[in-house]
Amino acid sequence: MNKTININLGGYFFHIDETAYQKLRKYLDAIAKSLSDDPEGENEIIADIEARICELLCEKITETRQVVNELDIHHIIKIMGEPEDYSDSDESFQKTQSKSNNSKSNSKKLFRDRENRLISGVSAGIAHYLDLDVVWIRIAFILLTIFSGMGLIAYIILWIVTPEAKTTAEKLQMEGERVTIDNIEKKIREEFSSIKETIEDGANNVKKKVADGFQRNRKSTTSGLEELLNIIGSIITVVFNVIGKFIGIIIVVFSAIILISIFFGVFSLGSFELLGYGGDLINLPNFVYDSIIPYWILTICIFILIGFPFLILFILGLRIISSNIKQLSKTVSLSLLGIWIVALLTVLFAGIDIGTSDAYNGTKIETYPLNLTSKDTLLLKMVNDDELYYQDKLRRSTKRIKVEDNGVKKIYATNVKVSVEKSNTEEFIFEIRKVSEGRNKNKATENATKIDYSYSIKDSTLKLNAFFLSHLNHRSSDEIVYVTIYVPENNILFIDTSILSFLYRTKNSNNLYHGDLTNHFFEMTEKGLNCTDCVNEPVM
Amino acid sequence: MKIENTKAQMRKGVLEYCILSILQHGDAYTSEIISTLKSAEMIVVEGTIYPLLTRLKNSGLLSYRWEESSSGPPRKYYVLSESGKLFLKELDTTWNNLMVAVNQITNNKK
Repeated sequence: MNKTININLGGYFFHIDETAYQKLRKYLDAIAKSLSDDPEGENEIIADIEARICELLCEKITETRQVVNELDIHHIIKIMGEPEDYSDSDESFQKTQSKSNNSKSNSKKLFRDRENRLISGVSAGIAHYLDLDVVWIRIAFILLTIFSGMGLIAYIILWIVTPEAKTTAEKLQMEGERVTIDNIEKKIREEFSSIKETIEDGANNVKKKVADGFQRNRKSTTSGLEELLNIIGSIITVVFNVIGKFIGIIIVVFSAIILISIFFGVFSLGSFELLGYGGDLINLPNFVYDSIIPYWILTICIFILIGFPFLILFILGLRIISSNIKQLSKTVSLSLLGIWIVALLTVLFAGIDIGTSDAYNGTKIETYPLNLTSKDTLLLKMVNDDELYYQDKLRRSTKRIKVEDNGVKKIYATNVKVSVEKSNTEEFIFEIRKVSEGRNKNKATENATKIDYSYSIKDSTLKLNAFFLSHLNHRSSDEIVYVTIYVPENNILFIDTSILSFLYRTKNSNNLYHGDLTNHFFEMTEKGLNCTDCVNEPVM
Repeated sequence: MKIENTKAQMRKGVLEYCILSILQHGDAYTSEIISTLKSAEMIVVEGTIYPLLTRLKNSGLLSYRWEESSSGPPRKYYVLSESGKLFLKELDTTWNNLMVAVNQITNNKK
């Protein structure tokens, strides 16, 4: 069942199918377009053609078949020929259609030109659209593909969203008018003048309706009011259309910029990785580096996660600007959604993995007796391995730096806290407490055990490392090494300046700040350390 | 260079001559002209003719009159004008010369 439309063709009256009507309308429009270089003769020719079509249709219509259908229109087009055939003989020798159409205001649309295609006709379509030779477009795509990969992505997107020029009318539109600033301006002016017309028509209508309403009765004023509302509605629609186009352009530009920047970001990261540049130039959050999922997969996932919504936005924007861009097919959108969900899950998984990786604290305590007699003076010093990582002045910090130790990549950290306490026994005891984090208690303890901290003792000098090394994959940034030296009462020790930044919770009976504790001799007393060579300032 | 294009151009060049010749034998309306041309396989589709007829009419070689039809809309009968007759005579000689010339060239080739 089909709706029919009544038309007047060459002075005759026809019932015509809605689809057939659309076909015929398009056909006649296309003919008018191809005749447009001869504006004076155009109307006359169209009238002749309409008369001929009328004649042909009259033969078809009988008492038993009263409605013109699509097949009839097809038949007519077959007899009459495609719209190109109408263009005046002189002109058509040189295919100057695109030029001759410039004078006429018909907006150009982007189609794929399969007739001149190499792969899918995208380039040829763009060439028509931009009025350039197709070679330049192809070269641009190839260069973009080689140098950034962008070309390939853009090509595929365009392939998906641009329809193919199938009918003659579409082909004409494809080759239609140049897009220039003038034309854009003209277009906007047209839109505004149509608003104006609508308003004027509306106003006239309202006037008429109101006048009618007064003449009749009050009931009909309501219909006048309705009319007014309709007019306001249509004005709003037109205004929104114009605003919508602007919003569409903004959306397209905005999302394209984001897409391109994300893409370049990922691409450059990827190439750094491929070229083996593992430096610290790029500081991605630990999240990316520390994950158990390879970092390039994670990067791609994050790209998809952020990029796809903008891709959708981009296509939506295109659709706002040009109604000609077709919607993504169900399969395409479903698979995009699928890929996006996979990326989301991967990133979520990585996030949970990171989040739980330092859920538990683990401690590993090692104690060593120092073979010193009570007469010895213990000399306490911090040393660094400058070959691993050079530090001008030893400082404690929570920074973690990637270093290479005999070809093995490790983390170099300086979070070492040193304190001196009174020993409960007669012996010097030296305790190293390593603290790390892990997914569970055992893992945390294991991680703590793996912390590589060393010291050396010679004669009565204890040289503590000002750093420790940790496994590259230890994600916790809260790893600390506590060093505690238990000194028996009445023994003397010297604290070297190198230890300054590492000193932690060390009691002294002189009420000295940690900053003043270094480069002095101390004696361990009942109340803690007592400075023996400090210049005695009056204690408040 | 497509063969179709060349063929179409060749045909289009003599189309005006053919139309004028048809009208020489008497007035005809559009469909008659078209069917004559079609049966001689001068044209494939009808569309080509309309702009051509209008152009010939506008340049004064043809005139037309309306005639009622028993089935369908009124018909446009084209008539060869005086200047059209002269024009046709010119074309006749040109065509004959052209035929001789073309024959001579193509036959010599063999």
